[in-house]
Amino acid sequence: MTACDWFDSPRVALYFYGELDPAERERMAAHLRECAECRQALEDLRVVREALARQPRVDAPPAGDWSGFMRRLELATSATTASAPVSHRSRPTPVAAWIAIAATLVLAAGGVLFVARARPTPAAPVAARTTVTAPPVSRPSVPAEAAFKTLSEQHLERSKLVVLGLATRDPETTRPADWAYERTLAGSLLTDTRLYRRAAQDRGLTNVARVMGDLEVVLLETSLSDHADRESLERVQRLIRRRDLLVKMRVMGEGSGL
Amino acid sequence: MARAAGGDASAFQALVERHRALVYRLAWQFSGNHHDAEDIAQEVFVKVYRSLDRFRYEAQLTSWLYRIVMNACIDHRRRQMPSGWTPFTDDTELRLVNTPEERPGPETCAYGGELGAVLSRAVARLPAGQRLVFTMRHHEGLKLAEIAAALGLAEGTVKRQLHAAVHRLRDTLSAAGVTTGERA
Repeated sequence: MTACDWFDSPRVALYFYGELDPAERERMAAHLRECAECRQALEDLRVVREALARQPRVDAPPAGDWSGFMRRLELATSATTASAPVSHRSRPTPVAAWIAIAATLVLAAGGVLFVARARPTPAAPVAARTTVTAPPVSRPSVPAEAAFKTLSEQHLERSKLVVLGLATRDPETTRPADWAYERTLAGSLLTDTRLYRRAAQDRGLTNVARVMGDLEVVLLETSLSDHADRESLERVQRLIRRRDLLVKMRVMGEGSGL
Repeated sequence: MARAAGGDASAFQALVERHRALVYRLAWQFSGNHHDAEDIAQEVFVKVYRSLDRFRYEAQLTSWLYRIVMNACIDHRRRQMPSGWTPFTDDTELRLVNTPEERPGPETCAYGGELGAVLSRAVARLPAGQRLVFTMRHHEGLKLAEIAAALGLAEGTVKRQLHAAVHRLRDTLSAAGVTTGERA
């Protein structure tokens, strides 16, 4: 047991790591001159640091051989391409690359027209968003239709991470800071989700439009959860459950719903 | 960064080569063995690969990496723990402070001098949240504010986790009969 109030506070460690502000640091220095226990605690930290500093830093596989790791990663990323963004798919041939570029330009131009027609307000801020890589067109050709489906799948895949994160949190133990990341992402995905929903409606893709609509509601509720308290999280989770959103997103992701 | 996001495989490989040591080091500090460290690092880079189009500059990716590593480490640990385990919340903090890892420290930690080995095992036995914060502060030299920002946590939480880790390591010194300074 100790009579010193500072001994069991974070102050000694913060002093040791240089994390106290100048005034606090001055007070701690003065305190250390008087308090043998805190001096001892500081000395312990120094011993810990020196002992650990002598240990090797392990920042590579055995013998520094990364070749197996890189091979595995290459396999993993190529296996990921089915749900990865188009830009990360396997390297296209030059011809395929030009076709892809041309298709993207056509889609992008169509997307601007689509946004301009759907919204009387200037469309530039939305059209300029980087997350919508190729907004949908209103009268799709077959390749454009396929591209739209691929992009929708990719958007759902990105959004699924957020929805999964929200659905699996325990409201009793989750604090606002714990799901700040999901709230931020929800806000950034919302506009794109709305665009995809409207484009799917326009194309008569009812199932896609319905899932995008459900997702839109959940993202909207999440991004508007300013207090981020337990009730807010529970409300979002109820929305996810009632709309069976995760199941629907999985079905869409597997391609059978499109 | 732009080339990697554009599908240039060699650019992505170069990006991995630039960051893999940091990722592996954090993963190893967390897992304490090569097998798990490699699994965690793989998971991290697959996530990076799938998310490249979200980052315009590499600096954005670098700060995000800590969070991906943290999530991958936590997911990895969660798969090994009973359901309901959570790493950082206030309600579980006391439990984290008072509950060491059930698994003994990995044998690979037992290198170097005796004290270093004892402390390395103690670090390996720290609860997950404390271990990550301690590693990022102590080994990576990140400030508390930087750790909080990278992990998306409140700075107070990071401070408490660091304090709890340091407290436990000091206890380890005492228990090991190490005499330092005025205690000597």
